[in-house]
Amino acid sequence: MTPFFDPWWLPVIFAGLMGLSILLYVILDGYDLGVGMLTRLEKDEERDLMVASIGPFWDANETWLVLGIGLLLVAFPVAHGLILTQLYLPVVLMLVALILRGVSFEFRAKAPPEHKHRWDHAFFAGSLLTALCQGYMLGAYVLGFDQSFAAVLFCLLAALGLVAGYLFVGACWLIYKVEGDLQQRAVRWAEVTLWLTALAMAIISIATPLLSTRIFTRWFRLPEIIALLPIPIASATLFVGLAIFLRRPLRPKDELSWVPLATAGILFALGFVGIAYSFYPYLIADRLDIWQAAASPESLSIILIGALFVLPVILGYSILSHWIFRGKATHLSYE
Amino acid sequence: MDALDPLILARIQFAANISFHILFPTITIALGWALLGFKLAYNRTRDAAWMDAYRLWVKIFALSFAMGVVSGITMSFQFGTNWPGYMEKVGNVAGPLLAYEVLTAFFLEAVFLGIMLFGFSRVPNWVHTMATLLVAGGTTLSAFWIIALNSWMQTPAGYEIRGGVVHATDWWAIIFNPSMPYRLTHMLIASALTVSFLIAGLSAWRWLRDGGGEGVRRTLKAAVYAAALLIPVQIFVGDQHGLNTLEHQPQKIAAMEANWETQPHAPLILFAIPDGKARTNHMEIAIPSGASLILTHHAAGVVPGLNDYIGNHPPVGPLFWGFRVMVGIGVLMLLISWLAAWHIARRGVDALPRWLARLLALMTFAGWGATLAGWYVTEIGRQPWLVTGVLKTADAVGPVGSTMVASSLTLYLAVYAVLLTAYVAVLYRLARLGKAAPDSKPMFPLPGVGAEVPGAPAAPLEVKP
Ligand code: HDD
Ligand code: HEM
Ligand code: HEM
Repeated sequence: MTPFFDPWWLPVIFAGLMGLSILLYVILDGYDLGVGMLTRLEKDEERDLMVASIGPFWDANETWLVLGIGLLLVAFPVAHGLILTQLYLPVVLMLVALILRGVSFEFRAKAPPEHKHRWDHAFFAGSLLTALCQGYMLGAYVLGFDQSFAAVLFCLLAALGLVAGYLFVGACWLIYKVEGDLQQRAVRWAEVTLWLTALAMAIISIATPLLSTRIFTRWFRLPEIIALLPIPIASATLFVGLAIFLRRPLRPKDELSWVPLATAGILFALGFVGIAYSFYPYLIADRLDIWQAAASPESLSIILIGALFVLPVILGYSILSHWIFRGKATHLSYE
Repeated sequence: MDALDPLILARIQFAANISFHILFPTITIALGWALLGFKLAYNRTRDAAWMDAYRLWVKIFALSFAMGVVSGITMSFQFGTNWPGYMEKVGNVAGPLLAYEVLTAFFLEAVFLGIMLFGFSRVPNWVHTMATLLVAGGTTLSAFWIIALNSWMQTPAGYEIRGGVVHATDWWAIIFNPSMPYRLTHMLIASALTVSFLIAGLSAWRWLRDGGGEGVRRTLKAAVYAAALLIPVQIFVGDQHGLNTLEHQPQKIAAMEANWETQPHAPLILFAIPDGKARTNHMEIAIPSGASLILTHHAAGVVPGLNDYIGNHPPVGPLFWGFRVMVGIGVLMLLISWLAAWHIARRGVDALPRWLARLLALMTFAGWGATLAGWYVTEIGRQPWLVTGVLKTADAVGPVGSTMVASSLTLYLAVYAVLLTAYVAVLYRLARLGKAAPDSKPMFPLPGVGAEVPGAPAAPLEVKP
């Protein structure tokens, strides 16, 4: 069989698709996990409301992880094996945490009432542990699985950083999805976590080039450094702008309550572009580039044809679902 | 811990995870269609009893689905964490099949599940029915893709090996490989039977307690009829499946029958203790020429024996017993469902003898037993190969140390034990609360929906657009 697409481009396209699904995952399941962690701060009805605000979405959101890891698996099988065996322990912990998070959704509402708080604990713990593991893996991946002491510290920092980031999108989601006192509190959470996220991003951006000479040369080299500058500048502007926005009282009729969420999404995307730039064209730092790791062009073509037809449809019905469940998670009637 | 070799541990871990996973797809695949059936029956008759049934079983569906999703995510990571050699060797075939499963099936299920569960009063009735249809279709589609891949691993076709790596040559042949139609049909019916017995069992249990109301009687009857219709079909399909396996994986059949020598007039062994070391059976009870009759449809037909495949055949004990457990449960299912159907057809559900209802209640999870036994036969029967004739299991295992695998395995097992217990307990709880439950609080507080959740017993029956 002959490939239908140019063999040079195929791995690039797949790396892009994979990156896109991981980015979507981080933003979308990020708000689920963030809300999951924030449930600890509320009780009873508010907590139910928070869980309800993500109820119809979390499953589809998590599927972006399956797609991302699936694309890594099918498009870059060698890298998949290498990465996942390196990250064996955090992956296992994350999977267990995802299991807990996912099933607690159901159990907390269906188990006998006297057990509900246990599942609430599991829900919180699962969300937190997932975020920690994912941050840790991100750190380990960026440093090319370096095992030195400094590297491990860096990974732990990345773990905390991602927790902050997820809390931040989670709070922004709540601003968009709830109203009244809970919304006010969500604004405060967003204000705090906004700065934590900014801090984490800054520390990580400073530590990364110091720990990795490869990234150092990648970043601080003319003319690239000029092309790169817009990223930190845009991020800083957005952080400050959003901080100011959050200070001001909420608009009447809830206008613009989507702004924090959208800003958070853009900030995540900027961070992502930064990481992607530092890596391209490597999949595993300095060891394996995307062409060395790619599956055969025939197989990639077969998947790409399907993906080109199906991805727009998936996006379409994901938007449909968000539209059907648009508006505030309110009007609860407890009789 | 290090005494155990990482290969064995990785296999046990994979087996544990997939065994846990498959429990839930087995339920969701067919339960989705059952729900669609309840919904359509309600649309047609406007009879509240169907909606009661829908409300109860949609909760069980949601729970099973969540269990299926989270354990499935574990599965998709396992290929990388435990079997890196698998993707390196056959990734060009396995990859696209898995990718299509995610692209066409998983997203479909996941997105429309939200609408199916929570959109009840947010969308017009037909959209809700449509969402139910798409979820049911999605689960079935995902079974299609994964079974295609699994069957290809059993009976590979449509590929060539270049540079030590498998390349696809004919996708049609890969997807519709020789064992795929049989395995898919057998698995889909297995799922339908599992759900029939689950519904029949829980309904019978509720009926024995307090009658349970019209909804319970409805589902009990529908489930018993479905089981009675499906089980003969399953036995027929199973027989055909076996003939197909005889053609493509004769050593597997030889192990299932514990038949050591290739011979005509091979006996059908009812009981024996196969001894892999001495290569013989102890305490054998057998029907003369039985196996030849079943497998070749002649008393004098030649049945392959294990001694033709020394060093290249699966272990005998697990296959021999696994097969007998599956067939045994199948026969029990036949007897019980026919008996119950006969009683119900003659004098209605309330005339069902109590001992028979108790038997049905005992069989609630029988489908799980048969399904697991069947999969163990299929998968262990493929050993020592991971992909028959292409890749040995031992060559695919990753470099992760035993201690690591052993501890993660322990962790998984602990979590699974807790979850399985909670799951079964919640099933009985929901069945007990069933219709007209005193709690009128919605199971899930919903954005803008209030009490009109499918979960809320107090909700009005009219489905508002
Ligand atoms: C015959 C059916 C069948 C079999 C043998 C398997 N699965 Fe499965 N799987 C399903 C049928 C299914 C399903 C019915 O489609 C599920 C169950 C509940 C659900 O949401 O979808 C599912 C869920 C599910 C999910 C979550 C999907 C989501 O996010 O919605 C993943 C990632 C996998 N599976 C992966 C696997 C892998 C890697 C398997 C084999 C090694 C496997 N499954 C065996
Ligand atoms: C759904 C029900 C399934 C069950 C209960 C099941 C069960 C098992 C068991 C018991 C083993 C261990 C066999 C041994 O090592 O002796 C195994 C191995 C394996 N199975 Fe399955 N399996 C199922 C489906 C699948 C599917 C759908 C796939 C892939 C598409 C698959 C791929 C594998 C792989 C890669 C191994 C590991 C290597 C091996 O030991 O052979 N299985 N499975
Ligand atoms: C009673 C007569 C039955 C016969 C003769 C039969 C036959 C078979 C055979 C020969 C296999 C192995 C095929 C292979 O690995 O190549 C198999 C597998 C299997 N059986 Fe059965 N079976 C029967 C009943 C059942 C029942 C009642 C269920 C479940 C409710 C069931 C579920 C399965 C499953 C899930 C598998 C593994 C997947 C597959 O290979 O299709 N079987 N069966």
